[in-house]
Amino acid sequence: MSAPPELLTPTSPAEAAAAFGDGAGVTVMGGGTILLPELTYGRLRPERVLMIGRAGLSGVDNANGVVRIGATTPVGELQDAPEPLVTAAKHVADREIRAVGTIGGNLCATGGVSAPRGDLQAPLLALGARITSVGAGGEKTEDVEAFIEEHTGRLVLSIDVPGGQPFGYARLDRPHTHHYTMLAVSAVKGADGVRVAASGVGPVARRLHGVEKALAGGASAEDAAGHATEGLDLPTDALASAWYREQMLPLLVRRALGQLG
Amino acid sequence: MKAVGARLPRYDGIAHVTGRTKYVADQSAQGMLACKGLRSPHHSARIVSIDTSKAEAHPGVFAVATYKDMPKNTVGHLEALGVPADEPYLAEHEVRFKGQLIGGVAAIDEATALEALDLIDVKYEVREPFLDIRKAFDPGQPQMTEKGNVFFYDPYDHRKVTKGDVDAAFEKADVIVKGSYRPSAIEQAPIEPQGCLVVPESDGRLTVYTCTQAMYFTMGVLAEHLQRTPGSIKLVGGTVGGGFGGKVDSATEPLAAILALKARRPVRWIFTREEEMLCGSVRASWHVEMADALTKDGWILGRKVLTLHDAGAYTRFSSYGATKHSFHLAGAYTVPALRTRAYVVWSNHVPTTAMRGFGVTSASFAIELQMTRNADVLGIDPWEFRLKNANRPGDLMPTRKVLEDPSTIDTIRACAEAVGHPLSATYRDMKNDERSGEWLPPHLVDQAAHAKLGDPQEAAR
Amino acid sequence: MHLVVNGLGHEIRADGLTSLLRVLREELFILSPKAGCEQGGCGACTVLIDGQPRRSCLTPLAALEGAEVTTVEGLSDGVDLAPIQQAFYDTYASQCGFCSPGMMMAATALLAHTPDASRDQISEALEGHICRCTGYVKILDAVESVAKAGAA
Repeated sequence: MSAPPELLTPTSPAEAAAAFGDGAGVTVMGGGTILLPELTYGRLRPERVLMIGRAGLSGVDNANGVVRIGATTPVGELQDAPEPLVTAAKHVADREIRAVGTIGGNLCATGGVSAPRGDLQAPLLALGARITSVGAGGEKTEDVEAFIEEHTGRLVLSIDVPGGQPFGYARLDRPHTHHYTMLAVSAVKGADGVRVAASGVGPVARRLHGVEKALAGGASAEDAAGHATEGLDLPTDALASAWYREQMLPLLVRRALGQLG
Repeated sequence: MKAVGARLPRYDGIAHVTGRTKYVADQSAQGMLACKGLRSPHHSARIVSIDTSKAEAHPGVFAVATYKDMPKNTVGHLEALGVPADEPYLAEHEVRFKGQLIGGVAAIDEATALEALDLIDVKYEVREPFLDIRKAFDPGQPQMTEKGNVFFYDPYDHRKVTKGDVDAAFEKADVIVKGSYRPSAIEQAPIEPQGCLVVPESDGRLTVYTCTQAMYFTMGVLAEHLQRTPGSIKLVGGTVGGGFGGKVDSATEPLAAILALKARRPVRWIFTREEEMLCGSVRASWHVEMADALTKDGWILGRKVLTLHDAGAYTRFSSYGATKHSFHLAGAYTVPALRTRAYVVWSNHVPTTAMRGFGVTSASFAIELQMTRNADVLGIDPWEFRLKNANRPGDLMPTRKVLEDPSTIDTIRACAEAVGHPLSATYRDMKNDERSGEWLPPHLVDQAAHAKLGDPQEAAR
Repeated sequence: MHLVVNGLGHEIRADGLTSLLRVLREELFILSPKAGCEQGGCGACTVLIDGQPRRSCLTPLAALEGAEVTTVEGLSDGVDLAPIQQAFYDTYASQCGFCSPGMMMAATALLAHTPDASRDQISEALEGHICRCTGYVKILDAVESVAKAGAA
């Protein structure tokens, strides 16, 4: 029987960064809602687990219109964060999971075996969130889209999002305990235009560049929604078929854009 | 008669609310080992070889088992009813569904057992799977058995029910309405995953703590697999944490027992939720094609039905399910001419089994959707269409039984009242009586109790 | 690691990544929390951690430093039942019983925080708990009956 993993339990952000190093050989645990089942089912056998839940990385701070959200802020404690994060967060799993699962873990999640995860990625994309992380080469801050694309060897410390911007949010769920979100669209009108993103469109959420470009070019919401599925490889999974998602995504885009006013 | 009509507390109610009810996973025995099962990653493949040597040598592993360790590996659940045994409990030379059990390990704990599974080396020759039962008779499709993809009932390859003259009914009809209905497979999904704990006693007997819904059935199946007398096995049931038909297949007991005997230690095997959902048997998916011959004023003159039932990789109880299905294809209604054919089709899906209303829910699903469709096409209120065609005392069922006491009319009327659906006077005041007057049109004369039943062989032709 | 469960302190031998569910069931033989899925998807494993409802299958032991855990066994002495237990019993909210411990613990947490919880609030609090037997109505009835009695 293999030896149990080494547990690292830093009590400050600096300690967490030091323990993480360049991330090699380290498995990060925030709330544990994604990691524990992998351990229980024997799919992951990590050597070192970095538990960052008590490293002072939690909290929502509002300063000059920019909201800084600590990486280990539980999904259920985002009520002071900007929309559409608040609304999207309300629909993640149920209250017991939301109390423990972190926004950082949600941001870093890739698709589950049978259903999408990372419901907060799309609101963060639409908000143009800035992600501050540590890892090889030290601390850096980057756009959330770049972070989602590639974040191997990075430990998220905080997420900065603009507050008070007009937003739209439309989702499709399966009536079920937890109301799994099978498809959801977030839209935010920022200073430099409208950003639109969707979750449930693949292993991670994606910005809908086709829609954004059409809007920037003066298209109506209806016409812009016609570009919804461009560049996407929609999945068929336990929740819905690719075909169904293809039918519904333009509809959700239209609804979300309609809420922007 | 103090109990009938009285509101009695559950005898296990206090235990349930104090957390003292014992389920199979709450049972333990000293020295208990953890069991994990090795499952096929392929829908269909030939097994070229199985090498368990590395797993057996892994520290903390007490026993490894494959089909070679099972005294009688292929036991038919319904052999007594003439359904031949066709399923090896542990895969021998092929796997026919993703998740099929190939072997298992008993180790000091679950983590070690899972590590040992990774060390069992199975070589496969992957084959094209057969997954669309609508292609049951297509010779171009992969064939599940040498005799093809369809179960043989002897003397037919299907169950059939024939009543009256269906061709004449379809000739006479004003409207033919067709529908195709495909209820999906459903996993029983009890909150308690299935499992068992097998304790090899010092006197050579086995004590088996099990979640089975069918104790004597499991005892018989287990005794056959192990080639022991039933008297040498003591089954202890506890409260079943939901079964719904999904805990009748004795899925865990044989493997846990063989490992317990090999290791000479108690072995507990509880399915993970993933095993329960993906590998545990399910309610079958069905494909039902129905055509109804109708008069424009709303009588059903006749019905034809073709059913394909997805048995999955092995027969299990499917032949029985399709039989039950066939008897119910008139539904709660009188259909004077009926011709049904139900085929049991094997596929490379998980083997299917019972679930509440086994075989009948698929019939009801198709029938009720068809009835509403019929009403839509005819422009008749769907409640009244059902009442018009409802079976009545004295009507003849497709099984040639004369109905004594159906409650279709009273039930539909009560439901309409309960939901506030208005019925026209004729239907609002309809009585659940033997046919007469406007409810005895010419085409239903031979459905009524006073009709002669005639020669059954004649009817079957 | 030291862990207080139902008011009693224990020295736990399991390693820090062992789930609380397994610690309770396999080391302490506190069997009311159930392994329905071990993925956080069903709620059968829910216990109270410092009075808050949490999935014990998702809680690693190492996160429980200084915490107090409550399970069904800690709700009463099993003879003089807690109101939620009596309600489940009286209202037939429990059929096979497997989901009941998790339901009762979630309900207990809700009613401690919101003694006069509405049916909607009860429904939302139990949203993550699956029952395959009862169809939920009687479970909601049971919890509501305690809320109504509490409001009285």
